[in-house]
Amino acid sequence: MAFKPSKRAKHGFELEHTNITPMMNLMVVLIPLLLTSAEFVKLGVVELNLPPAAVGPESEALAQMPIESFQKLDLAVTITNQGFFISSAVAVLSGDKTGEPTIPLKNGEYDFSALSEKLFEIKNKAKDRFADIEQIILMAELDVDYQTVISTMDAARMYKNGNQSILLFPDVSLSAGIF
Amino acid sequence: MAFIPSRRKKHRGSRSGEVKLQLTSMMDMFTILLVFLLKTYSTHGQLINPSQDLTLPISEIQHPPEVGLDVTVSNDWILVNGRPVERIESVETLDGFVIPKLQTSLSAYAQHGQRLEEQYGTPFSGKVTIQGDRNLPYRTLIKILATCGQSDFPNMRLVVYRKEG
Repeated sequence: MAFKPSKRAKHGFELEHTNITPMMNLMVVLIPLLLTSAEFVKLGVVELNLPPAAVGPESEALAQMPIESFQKLDLAVTITNQGFFISSAVAVLSGDKTGEPTIPLKNGEYDFSALSEKLFEIKNKAKDRFADIEQIILMAELDVDYQTVISTMDAARMYKNGNQSILLFPDVSLSAGIF
Repeated sequence: MAFIPSRRKKHRGSRSGEVKLQLTSMMDMFTILLVFLLKTYSTHGQLINPSQDLTLPISEIQHPPEVGLDVTVSNDWILVNGRPVERIESVETLDGFVIPKLQTSLSAYAQHGQRLEEQYGTPFSGKVTIQGDRNLPYRTLIKILATCGQSDFPNMRLVVYRKEG
């Protein structure tokens, strides 16, 4: 009588494969799903505050506040084709010479980091003395492009010193500027 | 007596010739893809559809987009919710700050929003998202913003590309 051949001897060396077909099914479903909802371009929004006079409901709320008891700084940055002018309710910061912009163009381009630094200086000096320390008014010449306006807002919002960033004037208002 | 040879057992010997599909490397690839897509996954989806023919300005702001009435300023037209309202050229030559046609259109939306608020209690936020090309001159921008403010849309959101890192 012949023995039945051993099953162990025959199958011992053959590798058992994991059944990955269900996993594949899962992937095939998940990847298109995530692809459709993935955002590759990150969008953001800049919040903009109109000067209160032009806003309906907000101006009423502001009118009820005792404005007279506060001193107002009225900090403003004006973008011109020569550079930035920084001014407040009381004075205009001049550059190295009178009549020159506070921060002139650097190599024909706007010097946003210098502007941010200057505003940081002003923020430190004016802290606790004015009511509108979060606010800044932006003015621009007619031909200044949108990107420059946005970059100026960035410079006015945050001062970046190495790794830390300090909040400067997040409340930006746009003004009609020089017409 | 000879048995009929089994059909099932016939294939046993010829197993070495059988080709097995190697799925392991594909699985690796899929896993990496899955992790990458999970990283870029956004929970609220796309709230704002950026227009094709304009390049938005780049900003360092981290504020996420919000839903609002969409005002797009392309190279030729001002569009409200995708509908052209006014030509850019006529805005540039306009005296004063309020663009009449844009104001008419925006006011209609504002009235509709306020009516919805009265009847169904859906709050009217007065939010408007503004998409403009990065080369848009300030003279046009300020007129559009002024018009939005005058037409019961005081909460303006300027749409920008977020700079990473």
